[in-house]
This record gives sequence, structure tokens and C-alpha cells, in this order.
Amino acid sequence: MDSGIEIITKTLQDAQQGRELMEKLLRVASPEGVYGQPIVAGEYTVITASEVRTSLGYGVGGGVGTNPAEKQEQGQADTSFGSGGGGGGFAAGRPVAVITVSPQGGKMGPVVDATKVALAFFTALGAMFMMFAQMNKAARRQR
Amino acid sequence: MEWRPAVRRETVTGAPVTVGTVTVRPQARSWLVRWPCDMGGFVWNRPIAVLVERGGETARIPIVDVTRRAQVGLYGLALVFGLVALVLAARQRAHRG
Repeated sequence: MDSGIEIITKTLQDAQQGRELMEKLLRVASPEGVYGQPIVAGEYTVITASEVRTSLGYGVGGGVGTNPAEKQEQGQADTSFGSGGGGGGFAAGRPVAVITVSPQGGKMGPVVDATKVALAFFTALGAMFMMFAQMNKAARRQR
Repeated sequence: MEWRPAVRRETVTGAPVTVGTVTVRPQARSWLVRWPCDMGGFVWNRPIAVLVERGGETARIPIVDVTRRAQVGLYGLALVFGLVALVLAARQRAHRG
């Protein structure tokens, strides 16, 4: 069963690569992943702060199979094997604030994502309108 | 094999940045979720505050995520509206029935 051992070795290598990728993902969970490099302008230093979200998933697998009897009669190999893997993920970042450091102290300035707020506003408004319309319809039906 | 929790919350302080007599230490909070069998995970990392040290005194400046607050407020408002509407509808039905 050399092919079986080969497959296990290959799968373990794939899993190891996946684990390494996972460690890289976890590096995002550090302050360096959130705060940008300080930008110095005269007496002022500006640091950007962002929210970071990342996700990753992967899977590896393999299998060994024996050919049916008729194939063996044709002189073909009696075992075959295969392995494979796949994965996917996403990364998203959004600026949250700008920190200004001067000899007088530190100051935080928020960054507002107007598009996200507008989308939330129209989604909420739409949900409320739909709910109101459905209730009105139900009340009219009862009358 | 080392055991690691599936869900972890961490608050970490980053490297200090010094400008003149002012030293700033950024703080971040992260949520880590590991999928079963260590086959991936999810990381949500966000800034929470900066610690400003000046003349031996430390001040904490919280970082407010205005966009997130606005989103949560608006979705919350829609949810409350929906719940109130449902309660009112149920009461009306009970009144008639």
C-alpha cells in the first residue's frame, strides 16, 4: 500500500501548509494590523486606525480505491489514489479614526463611512415601511 | 497537540510612538474564532483606545467607531419598530377576538 502512504504524506503536507496559512491569518490580530505606520509632519504625528476582518477556511483530503475485477482482468493497475484540497477566504478593512499626536497631547478624529450609514438608513427605512404596509393590509382584511 | 480555545478575545497594546514629550500607545481588541480541526478561522480586530503619556500622567482616549454606532442604532430602531408593531397587532387581534 505504497500509494496509501504517499497519499497520507501528501495530505499531511497540504494540512501543514494550511496551518501555516492559519498562523499568517492570526497575525492580523495584532495592533500592527489595526494601526498604520505613523506619519510625521513637523511637530505632528498622524496614525490611522482601522477595523480589520479576515476569514479563512480550507480542507484537504485523499482516498485510495481498488479497481473492479473486470478492469484487473484487462491488466490495468489494481489500485488508484487521489488527493486534493481547496480553500477560500476574505479580508476587509475600514478606517475608523485618525489619531493626531502633537507636543500638546493626543487627539482622536472619527472617520465616518457615509455610504455604510446611508445603506443602513435605507435598509432600516425599507424594513419599517414593509412592516407598516403589511400591518395595514392585514388590518384592512380584518375589517 | 497544543489545546487552543475555539473563541478567544484579546486586548493588546502596540509599540509606543513618541513625539517630543508625548508617548502614545495604541490598544486593539481582537476576536478570534477557529473552525473545527484548525481548518481556518475568523479574526475581527479593531482599535479601542490610545494611551497618551505626558509628564508622568497617562490619559486614555477611547476610539469611537461612529459608523458602527450609526449602523447598530438604525438597525436597532427598525427592530424595535417591528417588535412594537407586532405587539400592537397582537393586542388588537386579542381585543377583537
